[in-house]
Amino acid sequence: MIEIYDLRRIYRMGDIEVRALDGVSLEIEKGEFLGIMGASGSGKTTLLHMLGLLDEPTSGRIVIEGTDLSLLSDYEKAMFRLYKLGYVFQDYALVPDLTVMENVSLTAMLRKDRTEGQYRKDSVEILQKIGLYDRRDHLPRELSGGQQQRVSIARAMVNKPDILFADEPCANLDSENSRMVLELFREINEEMQQTIVMVSHEDWHKDYFHRIVRLKDGKVIADGTNGSSAH
Amino acid sequence: MGKKELKVAFLLAMRSLQRGSRSSVILTILIVAMCFTNMVFLPGMFNSIGQNITKQVVDYEVGNVLISPKSGEQYVTDLDATLALINGMPGVERATPHYSKAATLKYRQRILGVSLRAITPNDEKAVSPLYTKMISGSYLGDGDTGEIILAKMIAGDPSVKEEYEFQASLGGVRVGDSITVEWANGYTKDYRVKGIYSTGYWATDTTGYVTKSDMELVEGRPLDYADYITVKAKPGYSEKFIKDELQQYGVSQKVQTTTDLLAKSMGKALQSYAIINMVSLFVGIVITTVVLFIVITIKTLNSRKQIGILKAIGVDKAVIMHNYGFQVIILALLGIACGIIMTSLLMVYMTYNPIVTPDWSASLYLTPMDLISNSLILFVAAVIAGYVPAWQVSREDIQTAMRS
Ligand SMILES: Nc1ncnc2c1ncn2[C@@H]1O[C@H](COP(=O)(O)OP(=O)(O)OP(=O)(O)O)[C@@H](O)[C@H]1O
Ligand SMILES: [Mg+2]
Repeated sequence: MIEIYDLRRIYRMGDIEVRALDGVSLEIEKGEFLGIMGASGSGKTTLLHMLGLLDEPTSGRIVIEGTDLSLLSDYEKAMFRLYKLGYVFQDYALVPDLTVMENVSLTAMLRKDRTEGQYRKDSVEILQKIGLYDRRDHLPRELSGGQQQRVSIARAMVNKPDILFADEPCANLDSENSRMVLELFREINEEMQQTIVMVSHEDWHKDYFHRIVRLKDGKVIADGTNGSSAH
Repeated sequence: MGKKELKVAFLLAMRSLQRGSRSSVILTILIVAMCFTNMVFLPGMFNSIGQNITKQVVDYEVGNVLISPKSGEQYVTDLDATLALINGMPGVERATPHYSKAATLKYRQRILGVSLRAITPNDEKAVSPLYTKMISGSYLGDGDTGEIILAKMIAGDPSVKEEYEFQASLGGVRVGDSITVEWANGYTKDYRVKGIYSTGYWATDTTGYVTKSDMELVEGRPLDYADYITVKAKPGYSEKFIKDELQQYGVSQKVQTTTDLLAKSMGKALQSYAIINMVSLFVGIVITTVVLFIVITIKTLNSRKQIGILKAIGVDKAVIMHNYGFQVIILALLGIACGIIMTSLLMVYMTYNPIVTPDWSASLYLTPMDLISNSLILFVAAVIAGYVPAWQVSREDIQTAMRS
């Protein structure tokens, strides 16, 4: 369960003040597959960064499963990300010096609850699922944008995190691959009750979301279960 | 930091070195290697000069232990008994008496004042390699009288005009020639030049030798005393051991080891060496530190985005810091290893091609301990230099890092 109270994020650049998030309050249930939609610049990435502990709000509070994020130390935040969260970045954010396989298994290597055999098996499995197993020894720069995006998804999912944040994971995929990724998300969401918060531009993705939150200028302008008020 | 964290940090470090710029890795290693070589080169050379001087003093001047008259006396007295006593002691290879006496040498138009020495030639062979340094003629025999051996520099070179001579000489005496020696006590006689030698040691190369038997004729009496006695230790026996032993056996003269003697005369020189050594050590450390600091700083600045990514997916900052730490450690170790190889090659080269001057010759003398201690110093400096920027960059917040 994720609780967001009156979240604000203001960027100040000299005299100009950008209210990227301007008082967002939300509750996201465990097991929910939530879509965040909105125009470019509406604050979607900013919100996801806050939830993923990548950035600190200017004001407001986020509580995830009872933990107030603002109270965590740097180390606790790192551990929170490592053990609880998966994150698919809008720009893939793969580690350029590591191979596909190394990128995918890096976080699993750090987790105390994973043995080497286990994370190797998991990494192979997920790479097979996204169809990139035969590229496992390639470096990110040797892959296409779509392929890198799929690796980024594999990396976020390999540890089966409690919550998966995905920032436009299908932006660079063709419709076939997009569908595959969304099916994958639906599968883990349904099978393992994994909470998924996904940012999207594409209208047809709506069919996969349980609930859709629409942002505009850093504010929630619509919030509803699929097929109702979100339209 | 657990094992898993270190393993991941090491993996990241290896990959960064493997997939980063090859030439920058090689250059960095080379610079560390050069710094290491620079750090040990001068000290190694000074060591070798010191060793060299010590060896010459041992070989041609005093042996391992010098016995000289106790204060207030002119001679080491009771010579035969003293020699017999010392020669019978364990660890003593041989003890030999030495005399030195001022004399004026005359040959044709040349007159030259020197301090000549008298020795017991056969025993002396066990103490000094002088007999192996004859360049013409032959070494003295025990009973020789009226015969003298001269240093090449004293004998002189007939092709060099007197005014151009570096060291005054007799202007070209050859083996078999006759020279006149006027001893300080007025005794004058002609000597046949039996041999000419050259040792490379200044003091020996500016004198000549006669036998003790001859000196007895000069003095007009048997010599049961000596100006000093040189004692050569058997291999494996320390100078200190011999000295202690001599004092225990009640040798009542002044007993000094070569080390004692050199400590005084070389003390000043060693002090200036120490300053030069410190400077070269300091320069080496500073250059290495600065270079590694810059290399790692550039690396961290170039990979800020990557650092942001790593943090964003849950890699703790300690892992990120040790990633760069490991890179420095690897670069430093490789650099030091190359430095040791370079130094070793230099050591071999200089053994065969030493730097030679009239006073000393120098190669590189370094013990494993020297190499180890310098490696450690450099290593510690390198690691500190690398960890500072690594620590700084690992503290940056994710947003700033990722957006760069
Ligand atoms: N680091 C920053 N400094 C200044 N302004 C920022 C920063 N990050 C985001 N913004 C501003 O905040 C607003 C929201 O940005 P955000 O990236 O959240 O938009 P978005 O909804 O994800 O857009 P897109 O669909 O294009 O990804 C934008 O106006 C953006 O310019
Ligand atoms: Mg965005």
